[in-house]
Amino acid sequence: MKKYDYIVVGAGCAGLSAALELAVSKRKVLLIEQHNIPGGCATGFVRGRFEFDPSLHELCGVGSAENPGGTRQIFNRYGVDIEWVEASDCFRVISKYSDGTDMDVTMPSGIDAFIDKMEFYVPGSRPAMLRFFELMQNIEDGLAYLSSDEINPADIIKQFMPMVRSGGYCTNDILNALGLPEKAKDILSVYWSYLGVDMDNLSFLHYASMVNSYVKFSAYFPKHTSHDISVRMVERLRELGGEIMMGCRADEFLFKGDKCYAVKTNLGTFEAEYGILANINPDIVYGKMIPKNLVPEREKKLCAARKRKLGARMFTAYFGLNKSIEELGIKDYSIFLPQSSDSVAEYNSLRRISTNNYSIFLCYNVHNHGFSPEGTCVCSFTTMFTSGTDFDNLKEEDYYRLKTAMAKKFINSLKEKAGIDISDAIEEITVASPYTFARYLNSPEGAVYGYETREWDGIIARTIEMTMGLDYKVKGLYPVGTNGVRGDGYSSAYADGQIIAQKAMADFEKEGK
Amino acid sequence: MAMKFKVNSGAADLKKFAGLITNREAAIRKAKANDINPTFRINEIAKKFHPDFQKMVISEIIVHEGADAKTFVFKKADSSEAAFFRAGQYVSVLLKINGSLVTRPYSICSSPLEAKQGIVKITVRNVKDGFAAPYMLENFKVGDEVIISGPEGTFYYEELRDAENVIAIAGGSGITPFLSMAYAIRDGLEDFNLTILFGSRTEENILFKKELDEVAAECGKVKVVHVLSDEKKKGFENGFINAKLIKKYAPEGGYSIFMCGPEAMYRFAEKEIESLGIERKFVRRELLGVTKNVASFEDYPEEAAGKAFDVTVIIGESEYKFKANADEPVLAAIEKAGIPAPSRCRSGECGWCRSKLVSGEAYTPKENDGRRFTDIECGYIHPCAAFPLSDLVIEVPGSYMK
Repeated sequence: MKKYDYIVVGAGCAGLSAALELAVSKRKVLLIEQHNIPGGCATGFVRGRFEFDPSLHELCGVGSAENPGGTRQIFNRYGVDIEWVEASDCFRVISKYSDGTDMDVTMPSGIDAFIDKMEFYVPGSRPAMLRFFELMQNIEDGLAYLSSDEINPADIIKQFMPMVRSGGYCTNDILNALGLPEKAKDILSVYWSYLGVDMDNLSFLHYASMVNSYVKFSAYFPKHTSHDISVRMVERLRELGGEIMMGCRADEFLFKGDKCYAVKTNLGTFEAEYGILANINPDIVYGKMIPKNLVPEREKKLCAARKRKLGARMFTAYFGLNKSIEELGIKDYSIFLPQSSDSVAEYNSLRRISTNNYSIFLCYNVHNHGFSPEGTCVCSFTTMFTSGTDFDNLKEEDYYRLKTAMAKKFINSLKEKAGIDISDAIEEITVASPYTFARYLNSPEGAVYGYETREWDGIIARTIEMTMGLDYKVKGLYPVGTNGVRGDGYSSAYADGQIIAQKAMADFEKEGK
Repeated sequence: MAMKFKVNSGAADLKKFAGLITNREAAIRKAKANDINPTFRINEIAKKFHPDFQKMVISEIIVHEGADAKTFVFKKADSSEAAFFRAGQYVSVLLKINGSLVTRPYSICSSPLEAKQGIVKITVRNVKDGFAAPYMLENFKVGDEVIISGPEGTFYYEELRDAENVIAIAGGSGITPFLSMAYAIRDGLEDFNLTILFGSRTEENILFKKELDEVAAECGKVKVVHVLSDEKKKGFENGFINAKLIKKYAPEGGYSIFMCGPEAMYRFAEKEIESLGIERKFVRRELLGVTKNVASFEDYPEEAAGKAFDVTVIIGESEYKFKANADEPVLAAIEKAGIPAPSRCRSGECGWCRSKLVSGEAYTPKENDGRRFTDIECGYIHPCAAFPLSDLVIEVPGSYMK
């Protein structure tokens, strides 16, 4: 039997990133994946003459080649070359302001342009918006400083007090403290759904990191679906000497004493000299993949404290249309279609099927003309469920009817709100539900966001925990993914994979000394 | 000069920040250290919809005398419900034939409602020079255990895409998905008007004649027109299913065409349909399978024809070596070697068998190329629709169906 330095179980975004970080650091890596394609959510599928991206809307922190953001820097470090397309507008949102008047705004990327456009829609917002971005810059610099090698408390006090002062609060608290006009707050609340937590409960640092990155670095997406990202990562791993096994499902982790040394799969048992990184929800790892007596007390408590409160479960309808964007009158890449700009009410309405009237419309051809054959285009609608209740006891025949009913609701809402009617142009349609995501990801409830990053379980709290070394889990076994320090989202998962891989290597080196 | 910013008083802000640590610790500390429950209801349901495989027992065999076919009634071995499906979907049947490990996709011909009683039916018609079909017809007996996949495929009615009226064009055993659809309409699971133009050679040859006539009599939305190619008879249409015949039975206004049958039928019907000027989205075809004559394609590199190549298949840490002929898909050679490899549609479409071509070259006919853009660029093949052009080394995923 071959022996590897490290084994990564699960080729989701975090698993792929972890494997590459280990491989560029010259470790001998085996990456195993239960599915026959890599990427988890970052994948693609074909129907008829169309190719679809099941989940990625826009990737955070890519930036241009000249001015790379954090995500692009990770890919650069790994030597992974992706053809990116820039989505030059941040978003269009058609909804209602909190005073009940109609909202239809399109926000550009670039800080100056964003502030100018906000001033156009909400006259008088400029001073507060300037402070908003100034604060976000302070946070960006502060977080970078905190992850540097030498941290001096005096420097923090001198330079990063705005970050510290805002750091404990949720997003709405800070938007209020900045004195932003109501309408500006309404517009800024659009992004809440990307993180799946309403603005009353969403950590401001988390929100700020994402918004700052989108506005500053613009949003990008891969030219050939996110399957392209995942496959290029796999191929790069191959080049670096890593091994990959697809259709390889981990059943359990094996231990010598209290140290994890191997993983048992349908294709045999594989041993790792130094550590195993599991791109699997920790509750599944601790609940059924390791001996009960080795589950740390703290992990049991953490799991209990989370009360199985998972983040968003996606529900997406994908359409291959036999008309071009010009024929259909589609001009925007991404249109948010919430009922209101009250994120708390929206969050609550997404608990149940009957009250869920949310969707984000996306048309892949808008910035990427060759995405589908001439004279056609591809679009999708996504909503999410903030509770799994309605999917716990759905009758089979009702499930298929629900898919059609939801797709109809999406189509009608686009028609009513944006005046775009796709109903006669549908050549292909596929609908993915929490069951579909559960099928392909095996994540709890098919949730793509891991546990909700709210209150005490936000990303800042998780990061501090790791910095303090309190997150020590099982010897030789490291969970990576959306339940990690960076929370959910593609860019967070890539970052988490890298952080944990580095930690795994550092742990070994410490032990080695 | 750093910006000045505060939310509340200085002390309150700092306390709030410190709370990030203390609140987390407090929340974790006061929770109970119970054993972690790793099961989730949604995942259990997802598994029920999409099992790795289903272990079935043959509970009944129905012989279709004139049609040289049998219907196998599969019942879940543990008497549980079978995976629910959309009428028109297929299952992949796993067969062990003289050291070969092969799969075959068969459309389900029963009503989805029967899945709730654990029942899934498929109909196998004899194929001249066939491999799997003759084996099943000869060897399958009541009481045998058979492994089948969960339901697969996208050949089913979609209200938002298809017209309210569907003209089905069926040839031979291609009737099976439409029988299932007819049952689904009768049982209230689907709601559309289905007119089946069913091509058979003679009246005696007609598969499911009784069942089709019964369901049409029971359910006003289902209509069956028998088209006999080798026989002229009163009450039957005669000849092949052509544009004229489609027009004769097509309702006023728009309609969708669904096709399922042998390769020759598709080639003929597609030309006929072209003359009707129907939008592409209203014409849907069940899986084609792959050609028996790959060298007939214009872009096929003819120098490979007739040759045999050395193939190395890597699955996990196992390596297998065998010969593969240029005129058969790589998957067929893998199966003949008795290697457990994943596959479903055997038409190049579903991607279940997606594999990495580590070295060598393979040919995929355009009509079977269901690969993703990047997979083509990065040297991935669907072995069920890829023909070897040289010696090959392939990494194949593990299979869960056993």
